Amino acid sequence: MAVVHLQADHRRFTNGQNVITVEGNTVGALIDELEHRYPGLGHLLTDGASVAINGELIPNGIFERVEASTEVHFIAPIAGG
Amino acid sequence: MTVATKPRPYKYVGTRPVRHDGLEKVTGKARFAADLNMTAQLHGAFVRSPHAHARIISIDTSKAEAMPGVKAVVTGADFPNLDIKHPEFDTAVNIMARDEALYNGHAVAAVAALSAKQAKAAAAAVEVHYEALPAVLTIEEALADDAPIANFKNRTLFTKDTEPSNLASINQFDRGDIAAGFAQADIIVEREFTTTAVHQGYIEPHACVADCGQDGKVTIWASSQGHFAVRSKTADSLGWSTDRIKVIPAEIGGGFGGKTTIYLEPVAALLSQKAARPVKLVMTREEVLRATGPAPATKIHAKLGATTDGTLTTLASTMYFDNGSTKGYSALTGAMSVASYKLPNLELHAIGTVTNTPRSAAYRAPSAPQAAFAVETLIDEIAQHLNLDPIELRLKNAVVEGDLTAMGVPHPKIGFVETLEAIKNSDHYNSPIPKGAGRGVATGFWFNIGEQSSATVNLNEDGTAAVITGSPDIGGSRASMALMAAEELGLAVDRITPIVADTESVGFTDITEGSRATFATGMAVVNACRELISELQQRAATIRGVDIEQVEWVDGTAQIEGQDPLSIAEITALAKKTGGPLTATASLNAAGAGPSFAVHVADVAVDEETGVAKILRYTAAQDAGTAIHPSYVEGQIQGGSVQGIGWALNEEYIYDSNGEMENASFLDYRMPVASDLPMIDPIIVEVPNPSHPYGVRGVGETGIVPPIPTLANAIADACGVRMTALPMSPPRLLAALNQRNGN
Repeated sequence: MAVVHLQADHRRFTNGQNVITVEGNTVGALIDELEHRYPGLGHLLTDGASVAINGELIPNGIFERVEASTEVHFIAPIAGG
Repeated sequence: MTVATKPRPYKYVGTRPVRHDGLEKVTGKARFAADLNMTAQLHGAFVRSPHAHARIISIDTSKAEAMPGVKAVVTGADFPNLDIKHPEFDTAVNIMARDEALYNGHAVAAVAALSAKQAKAAAAAVEVHYEALPAVLTIEEALADDAPIANFKNRTLFTKDTEPSNLASINQFDRGDIAAGFAQADIIVEREFTTTAVHQGYIEPHACVADCGQDGKVTIWASSQGHFAVRSKTADSLGWSTDRIKVIPAEIGGGFGGKTTIYLEPVAALLSQKAARPVKLVMTREEVLRATGPAPATKIHAKLGATTDGTLTTLASTMYFDNGSTKGYSALTGAMSVASYKLPNLELHAIGTVTNTPRSAAYRAPSAPQAAFAVETLIDEIAQHLNLDPIELRLKNAVVEGDLTAMGVPHPKIGFVETLEAIKNSDHYNSPIPKGAGRGVATGFWFNIGEQSSATVNLNEDGTAAVITGSPDIGGSRASMALMAAEELGLAVDRITPIVADTESVGFTDITEGSRATFATGMAVVNACRELISELQQRAATIRGVDIEQVEWVDGTAQIEGQDPLSIAEITALAKKTGGPLTATASLNAAGAGPSFAVHVADVAVDEETGVAKILRYTAAQDAGTAIHPSYVEGQIQGGSVQGIGWALNEEYIYDSNGEMENASFLDYRMPVASDLPMIDPIIVEVPNPSHPYGVRGVGETGIVPPIPTLANAIADACGVRMTALPMSPPRLLAALNQRNGN
């Protein structure tokens, strides 16, 4: 099960939990499972959010594969100037 | 000066060849968008709202259309109305107002005529009937309980709100236990900081030429940081398919984030379609300042705690960033940029506001300078109170690999400690402070990003090469692409021609933003070169009649044991006999961008009679990962520093009570010029990014983050006045000195 780290903004969906273990082979599958468990959260995670997988920032990483104990951080979009 | 963690094993990377585009630029031959002139070309002019907020009741263009030379007029009615949830909804509305003018200067109509003079006269003849609405001009006004709505189409990001409000975004980051952290602290400092909007100040105003053919397809020559984005945003704004639009990148005269969005191109395309002629649009400086995106104004409350040994325990901050006329991510980015210190207890509230001022745009490390102003000032105060060296205090708390950012993501390999030590060991920091002056230190962080890039490398018949990418050269990317290709191929850098190609001649490439071009597009170039080398080895094997496994690629030659090496030129000369032209293309969505840190030190003297802060000496260190072309890296460090200095000491948007900008010219919007500045001494630190083949981190943005707090801290050291409002201009500094003196 992947270890998903959420931002404070997401806690209102998860009864205050920041770190959740989730079943799924891809980032997209994790989002689907999180949406199933916490309706409304998936929308926030898919709309513009980037991911960090084991600490490496991956832009648009919805199809990235994850394994058991993979650390996944959902973060806000980062751009720049 | 360069401080590297280990010697570079490269032949070309790290050298300083003359830039490939240098001659054309210094001789004035390089073509910028405003230099283009086409047969039968028309000139455009805009009608702009004189109101900060108004309902547009009607627009009568009949008089304008009847005027001499006028060939086309467009208004919001000519543009499709995008769904409010469309990602480019706000961009489209900002390009041309529909039923609501959102700030003074908002475009409400545009005219194309035979001459610029005729277009301007016709624009003045367009009759717009407005119903003036209450305007919201500041963060405080936006947040007031009885505040009027600034934008009736605004919906707050990161919420499910379906009603308009003056909130652009709401976010929170936290970890640890704030109350316990402050209870553990021996010293707590707390202040409120304010900054005004500032402009990116690029020398070249926005400009484009659009030529729409009878087939409905348009070619656009544009100055931008990303011509593929110009294409997609133009297509979205017009409801056109992408294949109707070809964008040819003109040279760019500065962008700094401000040219990551568009203002002109859909208008020029529509005018050209209506008139069946090419149309040129060039903003005046006044239009640039009134109607393109500044960096946001801010109000930041911050509270920092530490123990007596200088260990930072807790940071709590509420950050308000004014996004201007539409929603956006500025507050979020500001909070996310707090990433330099371990800080076991952290609570950041980031709130974006919407006001009737120009829609803010990215500016070099967007939102990080404002956040750093607050945090780095408080750290300096703690060092001062505890009588600790400000660099030692920062070293004690500096993040290293594995420590967390505000987002909770662990840092990858970073060079913050090395950058702090570079300043600590610098001649500047070890020299006595000039008599009567003060010394300030501050640091800055920026994420840097990856994203999508493409590159094609073609070998010519004589063994020279062309490296073709889709990244506009805003800061030396032609040279850095050529240097990496030279290193890979073993080909002299002057035998490589780097080319920035149009949207139909190279694979999709994201905007040059987030200091990504040398990192991500560079990786695409490296990948294409490596594919090309495999093909070169195969061709060499064919020529010599051996298996490819027997061919090694060494220093630009194919080497086969017992035989003379084959050069690239010898292989390309036989290309048509061994399989045809030698070319390779690579595309990627780059992950693993390397964060960058900067540390600055400045000596400042304050004239207590005039309030002028004069910078006597300035040194800036920054981790580049690997400096592909050190001169360009030094230029980026110096350029970022200078922009930060201008932001700190002089630049500000000044509005009257009706929301009209009062200083919309470079005469009154005071940017620093050479005579205002000392030499900016750059120190390049090299802690390679393991996710890039040459260790590249982005270098373009981080340099703008430290100057504001560096100078604020130097001023405090010089005269004992803690400046918490920008700019620290002579009138404001003089007022603070008078207050200090009890006057």
